[in-house]
This record gives sequence, structure tokens and C-alpha cells, in this order.
Amino acid sequence: MNPVEIIAEQLKLNGCTTDASGASWFATENIGVREMATTLRSAGARFITITATELPTGQGFRLEYIWDLDGKLIGFAFLVTDNQVPSIYDITEAADWIEREVHEEYAIDFTGRAYEPLLLREDNRPGVYLHEVGK
Amino acid sequence: MSYKMPMGPYHPGLEEPYKLEMTCEGETISDAQLHIGFNFRGIENLAEGRNHVQVIALMERVCGICSFIHTLTLCQAMETLTGLTPPPRARYIRVIMAELERLHSHVLWAGIAAKLMGFKTMFMACFQYREQVMDMLEAISGNRVNYSMNRPGGVNRDIPDPEAILRMVNALEGEIARVLVPVFTSSVTARSRCAGIGVLTQEKAASCGVVGPNARASGIAQDLRRAAPYAAYEEMEFEVPVESAGDVRARLMVRALEMLQSCGILRQALTKLPAGEYHCNESKIVFKTGTAMSRVEAPRGEVFYSVTWKENSRTPSRVHVRTPTYVNMPAVRWMVQGARIADAPLIQASIDPCYSCTDR
Repeated sequence: MNPVEIIAEQLKLNGCTTDASGASWFATENIGVREMATTLRSAGARFITITATELPTGQGFRLEYIWDLDGKLIGFAFLVTDNQVPSIYDITEAADWIEREVHEEYAIDFTGRAYEPLLLREDNRPGVYLHEVGK
Repeated sequence: MSYKMPMGPYHPGLEEPYKLEMTCEGETISDAQLHIGFNFRGIENLAEGRNHVQVIALMERVCGICSFIHTLTLCQAMETLTGLTPPPRARYIRVIMAELERLHSHVLWAGIAAKLMGFKTMFMACFQYREQVMDMLEAISGNRVNYSMNRPGGVNRDIPDPEAILRMVNALEGEIARVLVPVFTSSVTARSRCAGIGVLTQEKAASCGVVGPNARASGIAQDLRRAAPYAAYEEMEFEVPVESAGDVRARLMVRALEMLQSCGILRQALTKLPAGEYHCNESKIVFKTGTAMSRVEAPRGEVFYSVTWKENSRTPSRVHVRTPTYVNMPAVRWMVQGARIADAPLIQASIDPCYSCTDR
């Protein structure tokens, strides 16, 4: 089995799809963010980033967690409707600045961790990339 | 009794704003907190209001040193979304520009590291080598920075006389091999100033997701040119220098050896430069709906782009950039723990930080 198939088996997921960039994407209906992070770190995967995207009004956000496993990109997309998602900072330190950045740009709370200002200053309000703020 | 000592955000040793707040006991640093964002520009947000030509010019300004790498990564993502395939000559020109940029970045870093070591003669020598690399970049692109070389489907300028560039590369390689590499790999000054300080263990490097020469100096062998080849790297033969000590000296060694590898790659690419077109002759670029990811091994490590576009839209819906310094810099906290205060500037410089990338 290749590394991606091993991840699928460990997370009990039925395979994955490959996009035009060559990245493997797993369906996330049956897994949580922390379960994903724990499995991937155990497999030796390197956390790359979270790409946050604001969905049309009222639909929340799409958070894409991107990992590298032996040079292969692996992605997990989670829909966030209540502006909250568990932090994975305690599982992989690499997520620290990324979670703080997403919090400041989109006002999403990563629960279970403390925040300090990163890109913004202490008196700035999180959510600087939100579309309604920009209008 | 412990006390706090700030370094930055404005400091003679750091030309860009960044703050390292150190907790010290006597002369020893027991912990440190990093503060960035003093020049946060919101470039990702700005990109959502730019068309595909404007967004290339915008992302080129994420970083003044690896501006070519940023547009290369962006254009590769755009090529996935448009279906454009760069011709072989363009892929080779991209390798040549990327390796010149790596040389430029590593030589610049070597000069700054030499200055922080108190080795000012070496600083002067490094900046002389840097000028030679800048001359080559200018000869190819017409610019010393922000080269405007990349476009979806190829590059904007050809290299009509690769022999001339090859002669410049050969001359520079001789200088680097004769002066720079021996000084950084075997001089007593470099060893006494760098060995055993600022150690980042392999385990910590993996946990922090550290990339590029910093990861390779801590025993993590990944290099995207080898692990996930792009442009024409699959056709190049080169070694990936790896050290295991994880200290400042290991980071120095990896970069010094990488300079010679870059010269070797340049020689191959310039010698084998295929004939033909250097960009697609598309009359109009049409984006498909979707998200494309792309990554490139920049001088400081992996640059990652995620680009989302909707069909018939003039502007992207989302452009996300993860720069290498963004994951390398938090590791400075672990590197300075237990170090002397006097070593802190050199340790933080040893990761080759780019504050412009970090505050994109």
C-alpha cells in the first residue's frame, strides 16, 4: 500500500479523489479535525497550511487542511458553520501561526487554545478578510 | 532572577521589523516569544480584486528576494486552472531563473551571516558575488529584482545567448568554490562562532513543520525539486546536501553546498536548453472553475499557493500563500533556548528569515 492508502485505512475512509494538482482529497463527513491531525502526525506527515475560504452569506467557511506525506499533497476539507473548530496546535506545532492567522483574517475560533495577536495588533478586531468588513 | 530583553522590532542587526522578546537568566536565554505583523499588507485579500495579469505583479511583491519563485508557484497553479502547458524551453528557463535566485539568496544570506559573525571581509566578498548573480539576472530579465518573467504557459523573455550566461556561472562557481565554501565549511572563525549553537533537533523541526535548508540542516532530507519535481527539475542531476547537527554551522554548511549544486544545475540547464517557443501562443486565457495548489522549493524552503477561480470571472476568488519563513520562524523560539544573548542575532539570522514573506 502507498502512504495515502495507509492513511485512508487508518481513518477508515473509502478512498480519496485526486485533483488536477495531483493532491489526494479525503471525504471528511465521518472524521474530526483532531482525529485527522493525530493520524497524519503518527504517519509522519508534515502539516503545510490551512486555506480558509469564506462561503456565500450564511454558509460559513471551508477550511482546507493541507499535509505533505513523502512529497505527496493530502487535503482534508471541513465545512465550518458556527465559526468554531477544534485546534490542532497541541498535535502539531506547525499549526500555531496558521490557526492564529485564520482567526485574525476570518474570525474563526480554534477552540482549546489561547491566542496572542500575530499579524494584527492588540486593539484590532479579527475578521479583516471577511467580505462584509471590506464592503 | 529572570528578566526580559526585547530584540526589535527596530534593531541595528535586523533591517526589517520583527521582535524577539527573550526571557533571560544572567547571560542565558531561557525562553523567547516572537512577534510579527508590523508590516502586514493583506496581499491575499488584495489579490481578490486583481485580474490574472495584475495578480502576478502583486504576488511578485510578496518577497523582494524570491520574487521569481512566487510568480512561478502562482503561474503553475494558474496553468492547472487554464490547461496551459509551458513548452520545454520555458521549463528550462524557469529552472535557470530559480537557481540564479537561489544563488542570489544564499550569497546574500552568507554575507549577512558573515557580518553577524564579525567576519566583515567575507561580508564584502559575498556582496561582490551577489553582484555577479544580479548581473546575470539583469542580463536575462532586464531587472535586478521583480523580474516579470513568469506568465501562465511559459515565460516572458527568452535567453538568446545561454553561452554568455554559462561563462558567468563558471566564473562565479570558481569563486564560490575557492573562497566562500572553504571559509564557511572549514574556517576556525566560522566553526567557533557557529558550532553547537542554535540547535534545532530533527524531532522539533518535524513538529514545527520546518522546511528548506533549515530542515535539511536538522536531518530532514526533503527537497521539492527531488520529492515533487516541477519545471524541468526531473531532468536535472543534483545532490541534496543534508546535515544532522541542527546547529547554525549545519545551516551554514547546507547552504554553502547548495550553492555549488545550484551552479551544477545551471550548467546542465544552460547546456541542454531546448530550442523552440518559450511561451504558449494563447490569444485569451480562460480559467476553469476550481482550486489548484502548487508548491516550489524556494531558497528558504517550500512556497505553497492555493488559487481558486470561477469560470468567466476576471479575478480569483481566493489566493492563499504559505511562505517558508512562516513555518521556519516559530522554530527560533526553540533554537535560542539555552543560548547566550550575544548569539541570538546570529541564531535568528541563521534561518535566513524573510520578514516581507511573513508579513505578506
